[in-house]
Amino acid sequence: MLKVKAGEVDRMGLLFERYHRKLFAFLYHMLGRAEASEDLVQTVFYRMLKYRHTYTGDGKFRTWMYHLARNVLADHLKQNRHAVRHTDVAAMAESIAGGPRADERLQQEQEVATLHRALARLSADHREILVLSRFQELKYAEIARVLDITEGAVKVRVHRAMHELKAMYLKIEN
Amino acid sequence: MSCEHTQEHLLDYLNHQLSPDERQTVETHLTGCPDCQIELHTTQQLWQKLGSVPAPEPSEHIRPAFYAMLASFKEEELKPQRPSAWVEVRQWLQAVFTPQFVGQVAYSVCLLVLGVAGGYWLTTQRQEAASASTGQQQQLAALSSQVQEMRQVMLLSLIDDPSATERLRAVSYTKELKRPQPRVVEALLSTLNHDDNVNVRLATLEALAELAPADPKVRLGLVRSLSQQDSPLVQSALADVMVQLQEKDSVKPLRRLLAQPDLNEAVKNKLQESIRSLSGDDSNLTPSTHETLLHTQPAQPADLVI
Repeated sequence: MLKVKAGEVDRMGLLFERYHRKLFAFLYHMLGRAEASEDLVQTVFYRMLKYRHTYTGDGKFRTWMYHLARNVLADHLKQNRHAVRHTDVAAMAESIAGGPRADERLQQEQEVATLHRALARLSADHREILVLSRFQELKYAEIARVLDITEGAVKVRVHRAMHELKAMYLKIEN
Repeated sequence: MSCEHTQEHLLDYLNHQLSPDERQTVETHLTGCPDCQIELHTTQQLWQKLGSVPAPEPSEHIRPAFYAMLASFKEEELKPQRPSAWVEVRQWLQAVFTPQFVGQVAYSVCLLVLGVAGGYWLTTQRQEAASASTGQQQQLAALSSQVQEMRQVMLLSLIDDPSATERLRAVSYTKELKRPQPRVVEALLSTLNHDDNVNVRLATLEALAELAPADPKVRLGLVRSLSQQDSPLVQSALADVMVQLQEKDSVKPLRRLLAQPDLNEAVKNKLQESIRSLSGDDSNLTPSTHETLLHTQPAQPADLVI
């Protein structure tokens, strides 16, 4: 990224190849819509180029990227305040089509789908911290940096998010 | 360690984010607490399941879209940097130098140039005028001196003219002469003594009377002229001039004139009066020396003049 900052804008291609899947996943989990998430991926990379001078070089590129992604996300949600957040029902309907079966694999799939729905129903803060720690596999220290809170606060929030998720999961399952 | 505290750390335990000491305490609690073991199990399951929640792969469009964005960004951001500066400067210039503004500037510059040129022209003109005026003054002086000379020549030529009027004009020129040449004075005196016309002689006398105070030759000529005049008008006029000039040398010729037999009564009175006025002042002085002076003086210039 420092090379990008120094003017080697083509280097951004390398960063894109390395990070765009993770970024897409983060945005998808936060937003629930694939198409909009793809657009936001573009927006995040565009902002990286435009505000490359704000990248100081201390701290990992990852944290800076999530920092920007959160801002982009916040802007997006502000613009679409009235748009109802929804998961891709079609994809979900597909996964649960046919109803429960005795097949263990299918049961597992159903459980995952339920968990997915539970995750989608979590508050944004809790969903975000689970996505960052579980899907993006960020360490607490990194999350603390992205969210601009202390590491202890991250721990507490992760714990509470898991607690809520568990409750939500059981609620949906029953 | 309480169950609550342990459960708070279960996730960290699963994620291996605990220090060895903390890990040890969590493990010792777990061995003696079946509830927490179940909790650990469910949390572990949930965490693992969460990990298997699928995130759809981004579509095929995302890569070309990114590179298109990158390319356009390079065009927008990098290339226009220099041209944009140019464009900005040009736009600024265009904004500042509107046609109206240019017109105003041009007008004021024209005015300024006009003013400077006018000032320069005026000063040079004045210098030229100054130098010209001194030249003119010199020329004028030369001219006026030439005119003076011309007049004297005119006078000399006119004074011999047959016409009395022309001779009168010649005499009148003497008033305009500042410093008549000796030739002119001689010509005037001869006119006074010999001119046929009484008027011309009277005018000449008048002219000479004005020159007399500054020129001793004129006074001498006038005194000598007394004996040569026959016209009573000129005689009495001469007597007047003598009194005016307080010319004491004229007393003797006046007396001689008085002794002439065929003298006009009026002239006789005039002469007596004049003699009285002139010698009356004289009474305080020693008459003898004065008389001798009077005697000797007119005798000498008599030859000089005529």
